[in-house]
Amino acid sequence: MGNTTDKVKILTAFEGIANSRALATYQNHGGYEALKKALTMAPGDLIEIVKNSGIRGRGGAGFPAGLKWSFVPKAEGQKFLVCNNDEGEPGTFKDRYICELSPHMLIEGMAIAAYAIGAQKAYIYTRCEFYEEIAWLETAIKEAYSAGFLGKNIFGTAFSLEMDHYSGSGAYICGEETGLLSSLEGKKGQPKLKPPFPAVSGYLGKPTVVNNTETLASVPWIINNGADAYRAIGTEKAAGTKLFCISGPVQRPGVYELPLGYSFEKLLYEDAGGMLPGHTLKACIPGGASAPVLLPDELKGLTLDYESIAAKGSMLGSGAVMIIDTNTSMVRLMEIIANFFHHESCGQCTPCREGTGWIANIMHEIVSGHAKEEDVDRLAVIAKNMGGKTICALSDAAAMPTMAIVQKFGDELKAYIRKGKAS
Amino acid sequence: MSVFSESIVTKINGYLGRYETKRSSILPILHELQDEYGWIKPEHLKGLSEEFGLPEVQVNEVATFYSMYRLEEPKKYRVLFCDNIVCHMMGADSAMAKIRHMIEDFEKKTGKPSPVSLQGVPCLGVCDGAPAMLVNKDRFLKVTEHNVQEIVSRYLDEASA
Repeated sequence: MGNTTDKVKILTAFEGIANSRALATYQNHGGYEALKKALTMAPGDLIEIVKNSGIRGRGGAGFPAGLKWSFVPKAEGQKFLVCNNDEGEPGTFKDRYICELSPHMLIEGMAIAAYAIGAQKAYIYTRCEFYEEIAWLETAIKEAYSAGFLGKNIFGTAFSLEMDHYSGSGAYICGEETGLLSSLEGKKGQPKLKPPFPAVSGYLGKPTVVNNTETLASVPWIINNGADAYRAIGTEKAAGTKLFCISGPVQRPGVYELPLGYSFEKLLYEDAGGMLPGHTLKACIPGGASAPVLLPDELKGLTLDYESIAAKGSMLGSGAVMIIDTNTSMVRLMEIIANFFHHESCGQCTPCREGTGWIANIMHEIVSGHAKEEDVDRLAVIAKNMGGKTICALSDAAAMPTMAIVQKFGDELKAYIRKGKAS
Repeated sequence: MSVFSESIVTKINGYLGRYETKRSSILPILHELQDEYGWIKPEHLKGLSEEFGLPEVQVNEVATFYSMYRLEEPKKYRVLFCDNIVCHMMGADSAMAKIRHMIEDFEKKTGKPSPVSLQGVPCLGVCDGAPAMLVNKDRFLKVTEHNVQEIVSRYLDEASA
């Protein structure tokens, strides 16, 4: 089977189509046919298809989606599906685009996923700042109920599914699946220790699958076209298309659906039209604020897939490609990153709560001209002690970009400290 | 729940049985209270703790954990300006400085407190339209020092009129 890195429109199939959010439009283009087909199949076979498609979680961690579904106990009982639409990773705006373009694609994907894992209830958890997007989702859910795609005995089968929307309230940590479930339970959005994994003990202690919006919205295409067709897109280890959000001083920032393994340079210079006039590429954060920064040399020949970016010491993450130009001070940028993680640390684990605070304090000292050069090395020492010691990955997510900036821009930080300002 | 008006009690009751567990309705109810009163008052939290049969601290810790809940009486217009990576690169600092200046100017000129507040917030998820801000629930994109005056003065002028 040959892999292709040609563009295929799966998640963005409704780009340029009028009234793309309306149920009628979605149905005119074959919408809900995948659900109809799925309901004639055995749940276990659906899980196999999703496994064989090779799709990996699009929220950032890249865990194989089908495998996650297969962890749900087969025994009868109350189970939940939750869509993680709490898009908060700085630089990421792709799930918003799905809500804007085709909320029914997400709802159909969720109905298929719920059937596959045996869930009777599904939730979409969205960050509350997406006011318009939430209204679109709620409208789409209502439409799907009226048309019989949600509710009792869908397509005349024994399968029934209830779906509801739930708004977050401004906590980045709720993008972490166990934090999200705590929030959905009406509590502080603090992550829980795994195991047990949510597939076994999730919302209210019941088996729960939490999938990212983009992952779930890809499911109808996979069911319609088959696992092989999906696997043929992208690279051997990274199948399918991915929504990349490119932002910063480029000509055409936006969401681009690209096969995994696509060239970074093509994305920047062709799709996004290159840098804005007068701006020069200094670095790129390829996968959201938690991804270590890459230098122009490391970006040459880079392909956008999990393995290639990991080989450069960074990560694909949520697909948030933030382009940084030479006008940007890495000192201020590091301060922003430090403030962000300090603000968003939920406070449960000491290495994270204190570590993010210490990093933020040192950055404030540097920016205000009160630091010593050795404070830069101290940043690295603190960051090194924050990894792998906490309940969730936020501590690592704060440590990784810090270490990369110290390693790659240590001279810039030290020069700033000597002058007390940016050069 | 006498601290709540009749209309809001109907809304609250609509949430109480909506989820698998009553407790799940705390977050949506806090959003409703904020929409109704502009902020969540201490007596609301007390009222909810009675309704839910929870110690007050457990309701308070939920309300304080999430940064989008307002626990102090807000200005009429709350500007939440993204000050994260991309918006910073695209000019958030100077646009925010301009808003701050406008607020100070307003208070100096009119002698009245500004109806607009400004707060930096993490990424709003619209980096393709950076710099971005919310004024209450309305989203504004590509807000720079050059066009921010026009947007924010609408809210300030309304108060001085």
